[in-house]
This record gives sequence, C-alpha cells and structure tokens, in this order.
Amino acid sequence: MNNLPDNLPWLRKTAPALAEAVRAAPGGVLSLLPSREGTVTAKHGDRWIHSSYDPRKEARAWANAQFKEWKDDEVGVGLGVGLLYHVEALASLKQDGRRLAVIVPDVSELKDALDARPLGSWPETIEWIWGEPEDMARRLADFGKPLRFMTYAPAAGLHEAIHRAVEAALRRMVASRQSGQLRMAVVGPLYGGSLPIARYVISALESLGHRVTWIDHSIHHTSYERFDSYREIRHRLTMQNRFVELLSLDTAARLAEDPPDLVLAIAQAPLTAGVLAHLRKKKFLTAMWFVENYRHLTYWQQMASHYDHWFVIQRGECFEAFRRAGAPQVHYLPMAADPQVFYPSPLTDDEQREYGADVSFVGAGYQNRRVLLPCWLSPEWTFKLWGNAWEGAADLTSVLQRGGARIDTQTCRKVFSATTINLNLHSYDGPSLDPQADFVNPRTFELAACGAFQLVDERSLLPDLFTDQEIVRFRSADEVPHLIRRWLHDHEARRAVAEAARHRVLAHHTYRHRMEELLAVIGLRYPDRIGAILRGDRNAGALADRAETPSELATWLGRFRRDQRVELKDIADEIRAKGAGRRLAREELLILLLDSYRSETRDLV
Amino acid sequence: MARTLVVQLARLGDLIQTIPAITALRMANPEGGLDLLCPSSLAPIGRLIPGIDQMLEWDGAVWHRWAKEASAGLLPTHVERATKQLEALARHRYGTAYVLNHHRRALLVGSVLADDIRGPLLDGPLGSTLSPWASYVREVAHTGRGCRVHLADAFCGLCGVLPPGEPPMLRRPLCPLPSGLDQIGRRGEPWIGLIVGAGAVERLVPVDIWKELIIRFLESAPHGRVVLLGEEWERGRRIQDLLPSLLLGRVWDVTGRTSLLELVSVLGRCHLVIGSDTGPLHLAAAVGITVIGWYCGLARVHETGPYGVGHVVWQAEEPIDKSSRRRTDIRPSRWPIEETILFLLRGKGALPAAVAPGWSVWTSHCDRWGAYYTESGSLSSPPPEREALWAELSPFVLR
Repeated sequence: MNNLPDNLPWLRKTAPALAEAVRAAPGGVLSLLPSREGTVTAKHGDRWIHSSYDPRKEARAWANAQFKEWKDDEVGVGLGVGLLYHVEALASLKQDGRRLAVIVPDVSELKDALDARPLGSWPETIEWIWGEPEDMARRLADFGKPLRFMTYAPAAGLHEAIHRAVEAALRRMVASRQSGQLRMAVVGPLYGGSLPIARYVISALESLGHRVTWIDHSIHHTSYERFDSYREIRHRLTMQNRFVELLSLDTAARLAEDPPDLVLAIAQAPLTAGVLAHLRKKKFLTAMWFVENYRHLTYWQQMASHYDHWFVIQRGECFEAFRRAGAPQVHYLPMAADPQVFYPSPLTDDEQREYGADVSFVGAGYQNRRVLLPCWLSPEWTFKLWGNAWEGAADLTSVLQRGGARIDTQTCRKVFSATTINLNLHSYDGPSLDPQADFVNPRTFELAACGAFQLVDERSLLPDLFTDQEIVRFRSADEVPHLIRRWLHDHEARRAVAEAARHRVLAHHTYRHRMEELLAVIGLRYPDRIGAILRGDRNAGALADRAETPSELATWLGRFRRDQRVELKDIADEIRAKGAGRRLAREELLILLLDSYRSETRDLV
Repeated sequence: MARTLVVQLARLGDLIQTIPAITALRMANPEGGLDLLCPSSLAPIGRLIPGIDQMLEWDGAVWHRWAKEASAGLLPTHVERATKQLEALARHRYGTAYVLNHHRRALLVGSVLADDIRGPLLDGPLGSTLSPWASYVREVAHTGRGCRVHLADAFCGLCGVLPPGEPPMLRRPLCPLPSGLDQIGRRGEPWIGLIVGAGAVERLVPVDIWKELIIRFLESAPHGRVVLLGEEWERGRRIQDLLPSLLLGRVWDVTGRTSLLELVSVLGRCHLVIGSDTGPLHLAAAVGITVIGWYCGLARVHETGPYGVGHVVWQAEEPIDKSSRRRTDIRPSRWPIEETILFLLRGKGALPAAVAPGWSVWTSHCDRWGAYYTESGSLSSPPPEREALWAELSPFVLR
C-alpha cells in the first residue's frame, strides 16, 4: 500500500481542493486484501467491492459492456469508486475528446483507492465530482451535454442514498431546463378515478409545449358497460376481456400510424401484455403512471415487466414489489392538482348557502368512512356529506346531500371553497383509519389548490409534500372533534394554513411539475433519445447551428422557428411543397428518400 | 462518355421483365457503360443479365433502419451517412438513369445518382406528369384493356428504345447444385417443375389442384418426375402430404431450400415449368425453359405473359361486362388440368383441343415490336396495333 504520496500529486493538478480533502480524510472505509491473481482487491464489511479472483478482468468486462452504450457526444458519469479498477478500464477505452466524470460520495473511500495501488497518469483525464449532492448535480447539469450514467453496482451500493440525492437534484435542474418538444401518446382508461388524471396529464404536457395524442378509451365506456347486462358472469368476463384486447389492439394501431417518442399510460389503460411486448419489440418507449394503491389493485403484477418505466405513488415495499415482479425501472411520482381546475372559487350568497357548512366531506362511501364519519357529527357544527355509494349508511342520511348523487368537479370545487373545515379521509375497506397509510390522495392536493382548509388523516409520505404549517393532520379518529373545535372559529389561522398549502401546490405539486419530473427521469435514462429532444437538441436552431449540418439542410432548417422541433417528416413536407419544378440538391433528395422509408406503416397490427 | 444506369427496385418478376430493355439499351450503345441498380436480394440474378457492366446493390433494410433512426430525431449525421453510402454504392455520377418503377423512391434514387432521369414521370421525382408510356401502362393496369404491348416492351418504351426483336436469355450460373439437388434432371423424363406459390393470394393455385395435376401427370408419364419449386415450403409440404406414398419417390420438393442461383440451375434442368404469373415462372422462361402459365386473378397474358417463343398460357377468362371500367379479379371455378396433361403428353399439336371452359389458350411469339400472344385455333399473325402504339408513344424512336 502506501501509494498515496505518488498518487496525490496528479489529483492536486486537476482538483486541488479534492486532493486536500483526501489528504485530510481518515480513510479506512475499505478493507484491502490480495486477490487470487496477486493484485489488491477490496471488501466493505462482508461485501466484495471487486472480484476476489481477478479485479482487472472483472473491470474490463464491465467497462466493455458500458462502452457499447456510450455515445461520442455524451459525458460518461461513473457511479461507484471502490479501488477504481472499473474507472481505469473505462478510461483506457475512451477516445480523446470524450469526457468521463466520476462521482465521489466519500473522500475517505477515494483515499483508500489512492493508497491501495499505483495508478499512473490516467486519473488526470477524469473529472472528479464531489461535494454536497446539490453541488454535484449542478456540475453535471453544467456540462450541457447528454449524461450517460454507468453504475458499478458493488461500489455504488455503498452510497445509494447520496447517488439518489444527486439524481433527484439533477432531475430538478434538468426539468427546469427542458425546452424541446416531445411527441407523446397518453393512453387513458375506460372509466374511473384515473380518467380525470389522464386529462390533467394531457393538459400539463401540452402546457409544457409537447405534442400530445390522447388515446381516449372512455368513449367506449358505454359499450363496455353493456356487457354488465349478461346474467352469466362468465359471459360478462369473457366479453369484457375480449373488448379490452380489442381496445389494446386499437391503441397499437393508433401508435403505428403516428409513432410517438413516448407512450404514457395512465392506470387502468387497456393495454395487454401482448401488445406491450409487441410495442417493445418495435422500440416504442412506454411508461405507466400507476395512480392506484398497489395493495388494492394488483393487475400490475402481470404487467410489471412490460412497461419500460413505472411511476408509482408509494415507496418502500411498493418499489420492492414492482422490482420483484420484473419492472425494469420504478420511480416515485406522487399525485398532484391541476390549478386550472382546482382554484379558489368566489361564491354567490346562494351558492354559499347551498354548498357551505362548518364541516364537509366529499367522497365515496368506503367502509372506514361509513364507520368514522358518524363519530364526527356534532350539534356544535353543521355537517354536509357529498358523493355517491352511501346506500345503507343510515347514520349519515341526515347530512347526505343530493341523495348521494355523484357530483362533478365544479361542484366539488364550490364545496371545498364554501366549507370551513374540509375533512379528507383516505379510503380503506375496514372500520378504521388506513393501517398502511402511505400514499397521499389527489384530494389533498385539490383541496390545497382551492385554498381550502382541510384536516387529513396521517400518511407516511405526507411530510415530504407538505409541512405542518401547510396541512393539519390527525393520527386517530378521536383527534378529529378536538381539531374541529380548535380550528372552526379561528379564521385567521385557517386562512394562513390554507394559503400556505395553496402556495406549496402551485410551487411544487401541479401536474405540470409531475410531468416535468417524469420526463426528466426518462430523459436522464435515455440521454440520446428523450433527453436530447427535451434539451432542445432537435430544435431547428440547434440543428442548424451544428457544424456538420450541410448548407442545403441548414437552409431548410432556417425556414422553421428556432425553438421548433423539426423532424424528418417536417423537412420532407417542406421540400415537397416548395421543391417541385426545380432541380433538387442531393441532400434534399436524401431527405425525401429517408422519408419514403419512414412513411411505410409499421406492421403493428 | 457518361455512363448509364438502369434502376429496377421492384421484385423478381419486374427484374426479369427489365431484361429486354437492358438488351435493347446495350444494342443501341454497344460501347457505353451500362450498370444496373436492383435490390441486393436480387443481385445474383442481376449479374446473370447479359450487357450489364456493373451491378449496384440496393440494401433497402439499411435504409429502413436509418429512416427509423432519422424519424426518431433527425441529425445532420443521418444525411452525412446516407451520402457516404451512396458514394460507396456508385463511384461515378451517371449521365442518365432509366427508372423502371413508378415508386417515388426509385425516382429519388435515380435522381441522386444521375444528372438526368428518364422513366414514368416527365417532371422529376416530385412531379406528377406521367410520360406517355407510363400513362399507357397505368391505363392498362387499371382497366386491363390495352393494345397488347407487353410490360417488358413498355419498359423499352420508357427507356426510349425499341424491343430487341429476339427474346434475350439469362446466363446460366456456374455454381454446382448441392448434393441433395444434384440428381434433379438426371434420370427419367420429362421433369416438370411446378411453382407452387405466388406473390399475390389471388394468383395462388390451390394445393388440391396441384395434387391432382401431379397424380394425373405421373400416372400418364411412367418416367416423368415432378419438382416442387418456390419459397413456400409449407405449401410444398402440404402438397406432398396429399400425394399417395407410391408417387412420392418421383416428386422432389425443393421449396424453401434453394438460393436464387440454385433455383435458376434447378429450373434449367426441368423440361417444362408450370406456374401462375410469378417471378420464378419468368425466370424459367428467361433461362430458355418452355413454361406453361395458368393466369388468373389480375394477371393478363398480353401484359405479363412469359417473354419468348413457344410458351403456353391458359388465361382465365373474365365474364363479359362492358359497363365495368375496372380490371376484374378472375377466380376460376375449375382449372385446366386435363388440357395441360394433354399438352404435356402430346405437345403443341394438342392445343386446339385443349381449350378448357372458362379459359383461353395462348402461345407466345416475339418480333421487332416485342412479345405477342396468339390464341389457339386462330391465325398466328402478330397484332397490328402495336406498331401504331409505338408510333404514337415513341415517334422519335421510330425515326
């Protein structure tokens, strides 16, 4: 060992502050051992960081696999330090001009690496990224190039939390810099709670400038419901399954006719495993926002491996369950509100009388609500109950509005605004609060977006989204009456909380934010595909500015707005419209030639 | 002097129909450079065409892949890569490209590679004005009615040359057949090749009909042999399954087992080949084998009959409907099995008696205006209207 004095000078040349930090660090994170072939290898606790037989050979194999995916114009970002065998192997493969950065989450680990073996001069070619996660993310974002993350898992696993924090910060930065236009297809459900979410998602994506095709299956809902009229349940199930298969095929045909950059399905979208497998074969990129409780709706288990990306509203065990079921990528993406739909509603006196109450609840009659809401009735306050599926709830008949009819979004908004205290109780098919209370329902965000005051049952993921100053939570049913008394007559305090919650939603929890986040995740994963489009690399201005763009092509690109995404088809259409009757340049002919192959319909159906 | 390029990017049958035009172009300019661009899958056949100096292979799969990449996000490198591909394909620029497909893609390729293109459009690859010959071919294709100028001769017209007069022949390939196929044509006589598939469903001969023809032929010709040909190995297997096991030793099924060059060799070893209007049938005619065509669906003997002399075509007759201006898709209810057997056993002398109900029988000929067909039982004089059509569509050529 004792190689630090020889290795530190090169680090001092390229990163003097890091060199100083390494010198001062205690080291000793890794246990160093000789490998079978004689070189030094390392363990952390019981875990091998490099091969115990031949760490160089193992590193070469890893680097070769990574190198195949690494494009010339991408900055490679190595995750995992260890004894740097893998970084050395990668550095030996990269040609001049390519940039390779390595994240250093712990300088003590780097000190172990520098002390363990002589490294030579290759480390001078590496850009070392260290510091706080936010700083590291900023340095990566400032590269202004597509990033290709290359994870050496045995070493990266030591600092998973820091890597996640860097990635989260990077996603935020990337999201704020998105300027390109994607072509997206959003596949909605036939009916149900995820249907309005599909609409919010589309509206958010369009507001971000993307071109969205909505594959709307809700228009088939009436036909689907017709199958409910069969007396024999097998007939109903058979017909409904066949119908869903047909809609799935319909989706595939629509995608074939207008291929998008990304297919985003919203929970309950009728896409079968077979069609998804075919889409993958045809290189369509798919994502699913599963805005459901994964414990209740379990069809995701059969579908997990068929989507490229899953976005879920729960964490922890949920992630593990999806991964076990074969999901390639799982990300947390909480619910949100659409401020164009949910906003403070000024009410007339008549509306205030109709919709107003001291306490209200809007929602369907799940079992926990049927049991708990009657406990929260009191002569001390007026109470109104809105929503459907309350049949048989005798204790609540006196407060049920409109005979338990389903109410529309506009009415919801008015109730929220007219009510002094809105109760928000997450649904559960049991007689108590949800014992596995993790995700936060859309109602929480919608109430907040309306500037309405709410009491919401405790959720483990709520503190990440709202502070105690923004949302008042209850941890047991008994607390609710006390909280109502506490807040009912304190108008100023209620207003402060509700306004803070509304500001929080507008700043962080709209569907626009969620879509920026979703696209940033996918953009980072596919830096040369979705990432490049999001960065605006495919916009007319960026393409025209590239040095290798032939002048004839630049001329055509100059006819588009600089911030407009330009595709092969767009330029071909322009050439066809304006090129007839004159001799076309070779580049123009080649564009038309490529387009003639593009226009052949994909054989998806 | 600038070189000339012939562009034919369609299928095997179209490439074979291009041979007379290539021959005529070569006759018109014996010393000039004449190259052919065709799909790389057909290049082995292109190399057998006399008169071609250089074969250029068009790899459509590569362009498909590139188009897919470029449509996901166009980059200047995509254009650069395509440019390099074309530079590697053709080392020099052509003076004239004769484009013999109406597909816009073929016209674009011709325009990229040559200073001047001649073909179906008069005003460049983005134009819409058809050349006289292209108008004629389109009219015939839509209505099925025309002046009986063969497609291969219309290609000559597109190239501005008269048909060669004599039917041109493909060179026979030198490659040996694999040992499993080498016995074909060796013992027994006659060897009849059956092309069991077809590019279009409406031209397919049902497997039951093939079965019946094989049984009747093998029963009538004790030394006869049958070779099942084409790519459709599943049809070959089904036909074999239908045959009595005693006959199987006289039936060779090579469907799906031959390369294009091997197919040419096998065809060349047959005494006669039978099939519908398909690429392999024209290939057989082009290597000098007498063929029998069973033409149905949208196929018409006068347009795409086997090119050459002495071929026979049974043409399914369409019901007479003068009000219809569209070509009829003819699906025969019976097939000329008996009549074909009669011809196989007795030769041309049997033709007058070999007219099947719903079918007419035609024999092929060739003269200075190209291919023509005469109906069995009528005089074999060439139809006079072809000369008038050439005078109308290609007056400069005639001068």
